[in-house]
Amino acid sequence: MLTSVLPRLAFAPAKLSPRGDVLVVIFLRGAADMLNVVVPHGEDAYYALRPTLGIPRPDDKNAKVEERTIDLDGFFGFHPTLRPLLPIWQEKQLAIIHACGAPDESRSHFKSMELMERGVDDEKGPASGWIGRHLATLNTGNHSPLRAVGMGTLPQRSLSGSVPVSALRSIADFHLGGDARAVAQMRSALNTIYNGDALGQETLNIMDILQKLDPSQSINSQYPASDFGLALRQTAMLIKAEVGLEVSAIDLGGWDTHFAQGGSTGQMAGLLADLSAGLAAFHADIAAHLGHVTVVAMSEFGRRAAENGSLGTDHGHGSMMMVLGGHVQGGKIHGNWPGLRDGQLIGPGDLAVTTDYRDVLGEICLKRLNNAALGEIFPGYQPVPVGMMAGR
Amino acid sequence: MNRRDFLKLTGLVATSAALASCNPTIFQRAAGSPSLSAWGPLHPADFRALNRLTFGPRPEERARFAQIGLQGWVEEQLAFESVDDFACNLRLKSFDTLNMKAHELADMSDKIFDDVDQQTVPDELRQATLVRQVYSRRQLFEVMAEFWSDHFNIATVKGNCFYLKTVDDREVIRRNALGSFRDLLWASAHSPAMLTYLDNQVNHSGAPNENYARELMELHTLGVHGGYSQRDVMELARCLTGWTVKEHFWTGDFSFDDGVHDTGAKLVLGARIPSGGQDEAESVIETLSKHPSTAQFIATKLARRFLADPPPAAIVERAAKTFLQTNGDIRAMLRVIMLDGMPLAVARYKRPVHFVAGALRMLNADTDGGPAVQEYLLRMGQRAFGWPTPDGYPDHDAAWQGNLMPPWQFAFALVRNELAETSIDVNGLREISGAKTLPETIDAAASLLLGAPLAPAQRNEWIAAARAAGATEDETTAILLAGILASPVFQWR
Repeated sequence: MLTSVLPRLAFAPAKLSPRGDVLVVIFLRGAADMLNVVVPHGEDAYYALRPTLGIPRPDDKNAKVEERTIDLDGFFGFHPTLRPLLPIWQEKQLAIIHACGAPDESRSHFKSMELMERGVDDEKGPASGWIGRHLATLNTGNHSPLRAVGMGTLPQRSLSGSVPVSALRSIADFHLGGDARAVAQMRSALNTIYNGDALGQETLNIMDILQKLDPSQSINSQYPASDFGLALRQTAMLIKAEVGLEVSAIDLGGWDTHFAQGGSTGQMAGLLADLSAGLAAFHADIAAHLGHVTVVAMSEFGRRAAENGSLGTDHGHGSMMMVLGGHVQGGKIHGNWPGLRDGQLIGPGDLAVTTDYRDVLGEICLKRLNNAALGEIFPGYQPVPVGMMAGR
Repeated sequence: MNRRDFLKLTGLVATSAALASCNPTIFQRAAGSPSLSAWGPLHPADFRALNRLTFGPRPEERARFAQIGLQGWVEEQLAFESVDDFACNLRLKSFDTLNMKAHELADMSDKIFDDVDQQTVPDELRQATLVRQVYSRRQLFEVMAEFWSDHFNIATVKGNCFYLKTVDDREVIRRNALGSFRDLLWASAHSPAMLTYLDNQVNHSGAPNENYARELMELHTLGVHGGYSQRDVMELARCLTGWTVKEHFWTGDFSFDDGVHDTGAKLVLGARIPSGGQDEAESVIETLSKHPSTAQFIATKLARRFLADPPPAAIVERAAKTFLQTNGDIRAMLRVIMLDGMPLAVARYKRPVHFVAGALRMLNADTDGGPAVQEYLLRMGQRAFGWPTPDGYPDHDAAWQGNLMPPWQFAFALVRNELAETSIDVNGLREISGAKTLPETIDAAASLLLGAPLAPAQRNEWIAAARAAGATEDETTAILLAGILASPVFQWR
């Protein structure tokens, strides 16, 4: 019988270590325009490069108040749709790492995502994902089938590895429908048919666990009515039910805004509203668990500093990452700002990368996930801590 | 999900069901319609080959293959124009939008007093696509139509693609699916759906939009390692300025707008492009269509789909050479891949469309391809024309392997006839197979779905598992039929 042929690597035996935080990895697919998410309103060049798309300065009297940048530190500010995140920022549970990204300069979504999710510099690196290798190198003694889940229909590339991970689109739908007698028969047949198949057994076990959860159980906050909102709500549900969740991977797509990106309002503002409302709801929902949850949001690269001719932005380079959690050195913009003036931009006019994305992820692995095997998680790269996390 | 939920679901979407009231015997009487015949075990290599050349072989396709062999089968399928498809076409009759022009589709979608209806047209295209995958006797054509739909991916959620994709499917993908790659690329570049999907309709002189120019080289022709630079992307984008879509009169047709075209000189892939309006990008498209990197990229993708991942290098080389020698003749490449390459084929994980269409085909299901089945394709992650990014649905085994629950649910619901407007006749199948006892029935089912019976010990173990949960003989048949569809072996082709 054929079984899953997931890529495998010869690892040193996984290190036994207690579980760290629950890690929630949010991937903004399509290369989000981070210059319009955390806005460098103190840079004149920003407004020169973006005459129509620029988000108005916090004190711009020509713009409506609700369309202005929300100042954070006198130089950077939030896009106005991030207002729900402001209290979390003020509580210092949200950190920004600006101008970060990967060395690859292909400006290809697909190559960049592939390399980033594998945590490698070039395609010759291991085929598994960085989260997959994190799971494989850390024995937390946790055998839950829900140790890691990929929210959606296809498990994220970052999760692939020797530990099987199931996709989970909807907790409410994760069961066989029909009369109890037939379901019991099918359950029994599947158990035999999938005897010895790790992913099959995992799926059966998840079915059993989720059946005991009440998907309508009370939630503490109002999530947006979107796939992203559902993914966060279900992640919170699994955290609160204490079913062994260690990693949840969530995608939010639609960021490839070459056309009609919009500024304070419009297409991208709608995506940001989903992102910020979702994160704020999640933060409130898991308030009691925040001490052992770390959320990181990232994208494959940033967008061109100058707007294009169709009220959008083309592919660029430097991006931004957001980290949220109970042990974040938050309320602070980390990393070095390379600037947006001529001579500071790189290639066709893109923000430079001053912090490698693996510096951020590596620090989370080290300080919050109890995993020091960074050489295996990010082969060929030595992460330099950014200082945005407190240790355990 | 129970039956009532399904009915609720189907009640919400009004497009389907048109043919459900037709008596299936009409189709059986129609020339060339699928008629169920007995089946025996098949040599594993033949079953695998058929599972690559079709969305899952029907018994009569197995019989035909046994008669004429791989080469005969491939040639018969490549000459698709002479394969009678009356029965399938009959099932497509009710889909009015398939043959409508862009402006007619725009008109019918615009409800004036209500919102624009962005569902009817793409839903009908999705439904028709599955009907073709299940019922067309031109199976290799349909397999290739799906392949090119991924290669030149367009998501119907982007702007006017909700209706323009129907035109693209007909005039670009299906018109050229087994033709020449050059013509296919040419048609795609002039396709209003593609220009909309990748934002070229707003690519203007002085401030170009790079989106389409980049994907034209990265995804449609050269590949990311094919030897182009960021500079080439920017220059090709300048060549493509003015390639747009009509917004008034003949709405949705291609147009070249001289007024926003960048007339300066350009340099693409080392070649100077003289100022020449629409000819500029067309000359680059000609170059791209003949480029060795394009040949290599297309050959690699085809060999991966039909043979193995990673694909056998020698076959890729030969197919790429054929591409260059024949100016991108798709049939010539497929001959190399199928006839020379098939012995090198290794197991590939079925993508959801193959899993669903295959189950429906092999079990001779009567289906409208409508909302009940579409809901499962959505849950499995492969709703047609639904992949948001321009790379198309992934074609790597690992991408699809972590989502077993929806195929299990589908298998269970299909066998229990709980999918609205979709049914199978388990007793009819058993009668035709000639099976008398329960073990014979399970052997016949495995033979039909997997190509050969299970090992007796395994089959008995499976029967025992259903019995242990209290299943009667009939219940055991149903549970194990679903079990075979849900099994690891059936997930591979």
